[in-house]
Amino acid sequence: MVPDVSAPMQIKNGELIMDADRAVLNAYDASGVEEALVLKEADGGAVIVVSVGPAKAAETLRKALAMGADSAVHITTEGVEGAGEFDSDSYAKILAAYYGEQEYDTLFFGKQSQDTDAGLTGSMVAELLGIPYVSNAVGITREADGRFLVKRQGDSGQEIVDAGTGCLITCSNDMNEPRIPKLKGIMASKKKPLEVLTLSDLGVNAADVQPKTQITAYVEIPARQAGQKFSEGAAEDAGRVAELLEQNDLLS
Amino acid sequence: MIFIHLLTIQGGAIKRASLEVLARGRALADALNNNGQEVELHTVVCSPEVADWDEAKWAAELGAYGVDRVWSATDESFKEHNNQALLAAVQTAHAQATDQAAKPSLVAMASTEGVKDILGALSARLGASVVADVSEFGVVAEGDGLHLTAIRPVMASKAQTQVQTTAKHVMVSVRSGSYGILEEARGQEGGTPNHEPIKIELIKIEQGDSKLQTQIREIITAAADIIDLNEAETIVAAGRGVKDETAKALIAELAQCLNAGIGASRALTEAGIYDPSVQIGQTGKVVAPQLYIAVGISGAIQHVAGITNTKVIVAVNKDADAPIFEVANYGIVGDLYEVLPAFIAEIKRLKG
Amino acid sequence: MEEEAFDAIVIGGGVAGMSAAMTLARANMKFLLVERGEFAGAKNVSGGVLWGSDLAKLVPQYWEEEDGGWERFVNHRRLSLMDEQSAFTLDFKSSHWNQPPYTGVVVLRARFDNWLAGKVQEAIYASDYAEESFIATDIKVDQVLMEGGRAVGIKTGDEEFYAKVMIIAEGVNNLLTRQVGLQTEYVPADHMLTGIKEIIRFDQQRLEDRFQLQGRSGMSNEFVGWATDGVEGGGFLYTNKDTLSVGLVLSIVDLRAQKKSPHDILSHFKTHPVVADAIEGGEVVEYSAHVVSSGDKRAMPREVYADGVLVVGEAANLLLNAGKAIQGMDYAMRSGILAAETVMEAKAAGDFSLGKLADYRKKLDASYIMKNINGFQDAVHVLHDPIMQHKVPNILCDFGRLFFSIDNQPTAKSKDMILDAVRKHSSLWEMAKFGFKAGRSL
Ligand SMILES: Cc1cc2nc3c(=O)[nH]c(=O)nc-3n(C[C@H](O)[C@H](O)[C@H](O)COP(=O)(O)OP(=O)(O)OC[C@H]3O[C@@H](n4cnc5c(N)ncnc54)[C@H](O)[C@@H]3O)c2cc1C
Ligand SMILES: Cc1cc2nc3c(=O)[nH]c(=O)nc-3n(C[C@H](O)[C@H](O)[C@H](O)COP(=O)(O)OP(=O)(O)OC[C@H]3O[C@@H](n4cnc5c(N)ncnc54)[C@H](O)[C@@H]3O)c2cc1C
Ligand SMILES: Nc1ncnc2c1ncn2[C@@H]1O[C@H](COP(=O)(O)O)[C@@H](O)[C@H]1O
Repeated sequence: MVPDVSAPMQIKNGELIMDADRAVLNAYDASGVEEALVLKEADGGAVIVVSVGPAKAAETLRKALAMGADSAVHITTEGVEGAGEFDSDSYAKILAAYYGEQEYDTLFFGKQSQDTDAGLTGSMVAELLGIPYVSNAVGITREADGRFLVKRQGDSGQEIVDAGTGCLITCSNDMNEPRIPKLKGIMASKKKPLEVLTLSDLGVNAADVQPKTQITAYVEIPARQAGQKFSEGAAEDAGRVAELLEQNDLLS
Repeated sequence: MIFIHLLTIQGGAIKRASLEVLARGRALADALNNNGQEVELHTVVCSPEVADWDEAKWAAELGAYGVDRVWSATDESFKEHNNQALLAAVQTAHAQATDQAAKPSLVAMASTEGVKDILGALSARLGASVVADVSEFGVVAEGDGLHLTAIRPVMASKAQTQVQTTAKHVMVSVRSGSYGILEEARGQEGGTPNHEPIKIELIKIEQGDSKLQTQIREIITAAADIIDLNEAETIVAAGRGVKDETAKALIAELAQCLNAGIGASRALTEAGIYDPSVQIGQTGKVVAPQLYIAVGISGAIQHVAGITNTKVIVAVNKDADAPIFEVANYGIVGDLYEVLPAFIAEIKRLKG
Repeated sequence: MEEEAFDAIVIGGGVAGMSAAMTLARANMKFLLVERGEFAGAKNVSGGVLWGSDLAKLVPQYWEEEDGGWERFVNHRRLSLMDEQSAFTLDFKSSHWNQPPYTGVVVLRARFDNWLAGKVQEAIYASDYAEESFIATDIKVDQVLMEGGRAVGIKTGDEEFYAKVMIIAEGVNNLLTRQVGLQTEYVPADHMLTGIKEIIRFDQQRLEDRFQLQGRSGMSNEFVGWATDGVEGGGFLYTNKDTLSVGLVLSIVDLRAQKKSPHDILSHFKTHPVVADAIEGGEVVEYSAHVVSSGDKRAMPREVYADGVLVVGEAANLLLNAGKAIQGMDYAMRSGILAAETVMEAKAAGDFSLGKLADYRKKLDASYIMKNINGFQDAVHVLHDPIMQHKVPNILCDFGRLFFSIDNQPTAKSKDMILDAVRKHSSLWEMAKFGFKAGRSL
């Protein structure tokens, strides 16, 4: 669950205020859900979606259910002390506590959250669980023996990684085109199981998952000023701009 | 306290982004040292490419950056990116450098894909506070600990946050272009006068639990002659407006005459028209060149998120209302098939 | 299939659709509402005063919610007639309007519609069909399914759903209303306007000080004359919580004839000293444009119901713009309620025949909606008359300038001033004729 980054927002006294207080399914998570559904359609199994967050998180779980996930788990932070300030580290510990008790073939995470772009939680959870992981996946295939072959985008090209089984994969939105729920899917999602758990159900103490980073303020991004716009005709404009670049010593 | 930087090396050379972080690290360390703190600047190297570098060579490469110590894990396993091996190396170096975590530390790295891959896991392993992808950072010493203060963009770069850390060990990854490098230091021999000679320590990595290892089967490398976008002074970026071979050729020609790297919007990397490694934006690379020429790119927030640190943006777009013009220093409203040939001709003329 | 059928399918989750849905949920009906926007309100633009008190019927005591979906209630109304430099304004402020139920609240649709959808969802949960009634967003209805001349369901993508009645609440661009044959394919652009709007953000305190707002009180201001740069139409300015909605509605035909762009005219409007002072220091955070009906009856569909179909809100061109306000949302709300009530009665009677659905028409005729639309057609025409658009504002502004100028000269009598102003821009005879016409129309 992430706030809709395309919605209008403003910063007031160091706080971020979103005009519409709307939560959406993180685009990178949507790619994870899509990939899991594709695997399920090929090999069977079940897709379970999990979210840690306030009551609103349930809406985005419904969206994933509408896409085709079988069931959902909402680990609620409603009323949990300090939950408003949780960071990736807090969520990773909570998720690790949950997955530590579960059986799974593989865990899909988003490679980052659309609002914070942190990109931390996935590998943190893998580390806490002691399982292998591959980040920034852009494609997945499965071998006959069930091993996952993951294509990830690295610094200088794409790496095909044999991730075995029981691994954690963080997904790029370049991996696939997440399906848009159909009406029947939306209708069915209402009847699918959505389990609500509290931190104490997981044996997690709020005190142990307090964040290790604090946001002290939101500040405006120094706005780029729109500069000069030319529309006198291709040759003339190109000439003017080239000259300006030359004057600014940018034509190296 | 110990500042540690994981050095990024590619093609036998230290990456610019790495040198930027080092320069910043040294400046912070100097400031603290002047305040009576004891700060050492270390680097960790995980690359077989530097196996034969000796002290003199290290001094030549890093001396002027004021590096005190190099932890070198020149293991063959670093030929390819492998997150568990990398984690083990940094962990080992960190343990030794900080005297088994007795001293507080700041681990600062350039925000590359390799670093993004291990940042979360490493912080979990070290119990560190971690702040990813910052555009500015500073350090406040407190007692015998330290706090990081950093600024990082959020909400697809529509806002930024000021962040503080609380743990004894702190990790940070830094967007390229956030700091200048010490230009005068590059390539100088022998280190700066006020620093001890560099100490080189070889570390053996304890390959952790083997069941955690993943294995690279194959690497599909992008064309070797591609200019690294994080290093490039100039970038020409193509968007959906670049539809055919003619347009692609124009982009290539413009890039060539500016000695520029070529980037692309997601619209084009997704369509397979450009290599995915050159995607610029929220999902792709964050770049900060001197000059960025966006051709046929509408300027979606997710794309612009990757170029906000650029010095001068030029946009070519036939739609006068395209949002890219709101961030461009110079905008040309026109058809790229007409504008680019004229632009290229003019640049060639000006450059003589 | 019988088992799956809904009592009603509501197409479109704007004000009309949500009002119908709320009424259906409350009456324990099994229904489906389909909205093509990513969320309710995502695609909806409107200047923003929801007039009347029907909202209080749908969401009782809505004002008690701390952060409800509305912005401000209106207790201050202004109508300004403009020339290039001046504005002659009728100004009415009354504490009479300070008590709930308010007679007008300013809303921003992206927030309001979504909030209302939340309320409908609550009503669904409280109904007998908690899991069988749905609000589904991000789904576009492609087609109304017909069987032997009767609408029996909808088609979206490759999926089909069935219901006893389709409530078409698709808004002004009423493709499905045309598909079911209630309106001819071609609606002359003469009867359509285009609305554009900017949202301008302020520090809340500054906004409240500037417009003398207390708590959640608000102001609405309509503009006629110079505002539209010679194009038929009008302007508006409404106070939201910490933003202003500033915009225009403009005749599409006239825009085309004069080759002007709405965007340019909005820039023009914003340079008027009165408007410029009002928006000074704010930051434009949103711009949007949308077609809106003119309120001309000639644009209405042939009929508002058909076999298996009820058409509500602006899909049926139910809207009135007679100068003192645009009433589209309240008409949408009331017509949605009336359609839902028709469905309830049909279900109770076990009779969904065409004859029974015709009750909707009767309810609509008996309501203020059709009474006003029928009663104020002349006013609609007066508003769009060039005399009202140009000459009257000029005359009044000239008069204002003369009347309020005090310059150490012998002062003329007001009567002479007005005559002067009239002669300059028109003639007595023309004004007398127009005055008579206008007087009768109201
Ligand atoms: C979570 C998320 C992450 C994303 N991450 C990224 C990212 O990292 N990078 C990225 O780029 N996008 C990203 N996107 C996608 C982004 O939202 C846009 O869809 C994308 O950037 C659009 O690419 P474009 O500007 O090339 O194409 P378009 O938006 O289609 O724009 C094409 C432009 O070309 C112009 N044009 C067409 N023909 C010509 C011509 N002949 N001459 C001149 N101009 C012409 C048009 O006027 C138009 O403005 C992301 C989206 C999401 C949801
Ligand atoms: C600039 C402007 C200012 C205005 N100011 C005022 C004002 O101050 N006061 C006032 O009362 N009125 C005002 N109006 C008019 C008012 O906005 C409309 O009359 C009112 O919104 C009509 O409501 P509706 O529910 O009928 O239609 P809409 O609000 O248009 O809702 C229709 C809904 O149906 C959905 N839809 C359409 N087709 C499909 C489909 N095939 N499948 C699924 N969903 C579909 C749309 O996405 C939309 O959400 C203004 C309008 C404009 C443009
Ligand atoms: N509260 C949470 N609940 C479930 N998954 C989460 C949560 N926070 C982060 N994640 C996962 O971690 C990814 C992003 O990590 P980060 O960028 O560190 O926030 C998301 O795409 C999710 O897969």
